[in-house]
Amino acid sequence: MHARFAAALVVALLTVTAVAVAAEGPTRDEYVSQLEQICKPDAEATQRAMKGARADVSGERLAAAAKKFGTATAIFGGTVKKIAAVPRPEGDEAKLGKWFGYLNAQESYLKQITAQLRAGHAIKAQRLTARFIHNGNLANNVVLAFGFNYCSFKFSRYG
Amino acid sequence: MRQRARPGAKARVLSALAALTLVAALAAGGIARGERAQRGDLIVSLDGQLAPLKLPRGRPAPVSVSLEGGLQTAGGGELPRVTEVQLGLPSRGVLSTRGLPSCSRHRLQHTTTAEAREACGGALVGSGQMQADVLLPNQEPFRIHADLLAFNGTVDGKRAVLMHAFAAKPPTVVVLPFVFHRGAGRFGTALVADLPPSLGPWPHFAHFQMTLGRRYEYRGRSRSYLSASCPIPPRITAGFFSLAKVTFTLEDGGEISTGIARSCRAS
Repeated sequence: MHARFAAALVVALLTVTAVAVAAEGPTRDEYVSQLEQICKPDAEATQRAMKGARADVSGERLAAAAKKFGTATAIFGGTVKKIAAVPRPEGDEAKLGKWFGYLNAQESYLKQITAQLRAGHAIKAQRLTARFIHNGNLANNVVLAFGFNYCSFKFSRYG
Repeated sequence: MRQRARPGAKARVLSALAALTLVAALAAGGIARGERAQRGDLIVSLDGQLAPLKLPRGRPAPVSVSLEGGLQTAGGGELPRVTEVQLGLPSRGVLSTRGLPSCSRHRLQHTTTAEAREACGGALVGSGQMQADVLLPNQEPFRIHADLLAFNGTVDGKRAVLMHAFAAKPPTVVVLPFVFHRGAGRFGTALVADLPPSLGPWPHFAHFQMTLGRRYEYRGRSRSYLSASCPIPPRITAGFFSLAKVTFTLEDGGEISTGIARSCRAS
């Protein structure tokens, strides 16, 4: 009886410990490393997809630019979905929640830019681009201390 | 910035300070006031703008570039020693020094700001301020505030900007050459300054603000040290471009950098 009770206690304690460890989540460094691994291939794919987009807009080839923005939007949406699923470090939840808010807004801006380019509305697309860049910089400022590279917004990746 | 090589080449100079992306009118409060990046405890920042904002679509017009940036630590600790500063500028802008007087490092040594202006005023291409932290043994660090003057010059036959920094308290003068380098990519022109250990406390660089630009007359013609255009299609009113990137190389061999994107409007 005593042995059974002791075994059950050990199992219970181990379970509690395991739950506690899981609840702690990763450290910030571990989190950044995990996210950067996800963001790196997507950031590189974005850069490839957006190549020549500036020249397309300058040359008034808006449909071609729209196609590139469409691809970038799909990549960005996929990245956000993947990184949102990664457990967040304890104490950083609020900051990261705010960051993901900005990232969702970025995705929305990209979708809107693509739609406006498809419709041939260059002026509307230019206004949205201003907001997209501004929002990207705000997003970067929220997670400055994380030292992201591939997961941060960089204007240079967009053509 | 593209360096002008031949006289009379102005008409053929490609306009454009930068490659444009989608365009955009910079709404009020528009782009963030300075972009930042962090590496460990160290934060780098850069802000800047082109003036005027409104530029011709098809030909370069005189401009000035204002930049402000620096380093700080998140925890308020000591700044690391910087061994090199690199300022990347768009390769498609126009830099002209034809007919602009040149100054030598020698003439600026041991001069106050007023004396430097007197000695090389004709070569002046910019001005600003900078701060650096002074770290001395057995003493609390303190910050030096210096006035900056930028002069057109050459170093080993290469075009350069000679940066003259003068601080009154304690009296300190440093002349730092930023040499023009050509490269590839978005920032095809780089101004590079090495900060040797002989500079003493100055390499603990904290902050700078600088405006570059100069209008001058040469052979009866008005010229500009810097020129740019806003080459966007007629149906679009404004464009975005990468204006500048600053990279600091640190004593430990690491680098920290950030770049800024800004807009221009077509006149």
